[in-house]
Amino acid sequence: MAYVELHDINKHFKKFHASKDINISIEKGKLVALLGPSGSGKTTILRMIAGLENPDSGEIVIDGKVVNNIPGSERGIGFVFQSYALFRYMTVYDNIAFGLRVKKTPESEIKKRVEELLELIGCTGLEKRFPSQLSGGQRQRVAFARALAPNPQILLLDEPFAAIDAKVRMELRSWLRQMITKLNITSIFVTHDQDEAIEVADEIIVTNQGRVEQTGTPQELYKNPATPFVAQFIGQSTEVSNFDEFKCFEKEDVNQTAFIRPEFVSIFKKGESVQFEKSAEEAIVEDIIFRGSNLEIKTRIHGNLISAIRSINEPAVEIGEEIFVFIYRMYVVTNDDVSLLTNSSIAEEAIVI
Amino acid sequence: MELRKENKVLKGVLVTISFLFLGIFLILPLIYILVTAFRYGISEYINAVTDEYAVKAAMLTLEATLFAVVINTVFGIAAAWLITKYAFKGKKLLSTFIDLPVTVSPIIAGLIYVLTFGRQSFLYPILDSYGIQIIFAVPGIVLATIFVTFPFISRELIPVLTAQGSDEEEAAALMGAGTFHIFRKVTFPHIKWALLYGVVLCTARAMGEFGAVSVLSGHLRGKTNTLPLYIELLYQGYDFTGAFAASSILVVLAVVVLILRLVIEKKGKKELDLNK
Repeated sequence: MAYVELHDINKHFKKFHASKDINISIEKGKLVALLGPSGSGKTTILRMIAGLENPDSGEIVIDGKVVNNIPGSERGIGFVFQSYALFRYMTVYDNIAFGLRVKKTPESEIKKRVEELLELIGCTGLEKRFPSQLSGGQRQRVAFARALAPNPQILLLDEPFAAIDAKVRMELRSWLRQMITKLNITSIFVTHDQDEAIEVADEIIVTNQGRVEQTGTPQELYKNPATPFVAQFIGQSTEVSNFDEFKCFEKEDVNQTAFIRPEFVSIFKKGESVQFEKSAEEAIVEDIIFRGSNLEIKTRIHGNLISAIRSINEPAVEIGEEIFVFIYRMYVVTNDDVSLLTNSSIAEEAIVI
Repeated sequence: MELRKENKVLKGVLVTISFLFLGIFLILPLIYILVTAFRYGISEYINAVTDEYAVKAAMLTLEATLFAVVINTVFGIAAAWLITKYAFKGKKLLSTFIDLPVTVSPIIAGLIYVLTFGRQSFLYPILDSYGIQIIFAVPGIVLATIFVTFPFISRELIPVLTAQGSDEEEAAALMGAGTFHIFRKVTFPHIKWALLYGVVLCTARAMGEFGAVSVLSGHLRGKTNTLPLYIELLYQGYDFTGAFAASSILVVLAVVVLILRLVIEKKGKKELDLNK
């Protein structure tokens, strides 16, 4: 059942059309990511749900009620700001207690709740510290606790991991996921990092230029990109407009273009057995990037620099080496449609079997 | 090594120049004021300082300063808040106009009020019918003092408020806090030191104001003479002991303000470091 819904939302900032006919439906208890490049309107959507911005037209519905004219503080939401926006002249305790004090909760109850939250976020003993005396990760946790203190129905997070260094970010991601699952609170977070969205979210809403491009689970977005933007944005895609020059791929229309992802490409050294030798391209290694757990190999094929992933356990290749490249599939864009095109030699094989 | 040596020489030269400059233009005159004030002994000095008109002038100066500081504090906070937290048409214009008193000569400020509230103004009959006198009266002096000091507080607050952004206020508002509550709990602790600093600057400037006040005062001894005007009056009358004794009151007040400023700066900086 949809818990948060946006119907035909439009929003302008002066002449800039920040949200164009946004329609979103979010189920209760789901953890949803708003994913898009900067300036795509994802934060605007979040701020409109929070009541920090008002849409020019359209309806925002929470739990079946139109909330357009209800102030943000009465919508039952908790908001975690990008820079956390902790009150810097208040202690951790006072920060978390702020929302409860505004609601005139008895001090004894506040104490209980704050202690409970501090335990939940693993920051017991830090209540007397000021935000400046906390690490980035601790600040984020405190911001999370502060947002949760008044028991909101919805948790909104604006780029929750943007201000944290890489290592802590990974920890916090899985921590946040666990917390949200444990509390079973409907959560929406904004991110420009697709890895983050794919790893953390149950569902992803991809935004681009003020529009919602596609909504779906990470797997759906990955496997079935609905629009050219999603095909290009998700994964590490290389655009190949002359894909008909590749062996075993044909163009149906001159305007077609394609996107190839590294995971669709395999590399074979000369002498290694190649399953579809006739359909493999010959190429020269132009660059090798060490990615820790694997290698990204860049080769030029028909003028396109194509990336492939190679395991570090496989025999090493060198820059300048002649190799075979086999492309399994690619996403073909015809006007506004996206379809998956498989190497025809595999398709034939399938028929034979 | 060579570079270090050069730097040392340069440093010495700069230090000498700075201290010489300060000594000749600031310290020496200050010493001269005190020496002249005490030239005929302490009893003469006390006589001059406790003179009926001197006391009245000092009281008027304090009165004008108090009005100016209170009104400018309210105006300064409101203007700084408006300029930093809201987007509206004419924002640039407003922030430019706030700086006007810094660029306009105080004499002109005085004349503006003479033209606005004087006999030739269309406002004069209205004010007169209510028995309100502004020109050559205390309200005029207060107005002039407010005019010359009104940028001080907002100018101190605007950079602090801009640096802070409005996230904390938004966070508080989302938790249901009202505007006044947000100001008291979130914004005020942040601007506290800057505000105090602005108040100190405003006080110092208000006490010393001469030009604008001179135009509006009418120089009525014991009625509309502020301390700076009174000093000029004595000086023109060749009463050097009196003039310099009265000056010494202003000097003492200035030193007090200076010390306050140092203390506030130090405390404010300490707190800022803590909250970085």
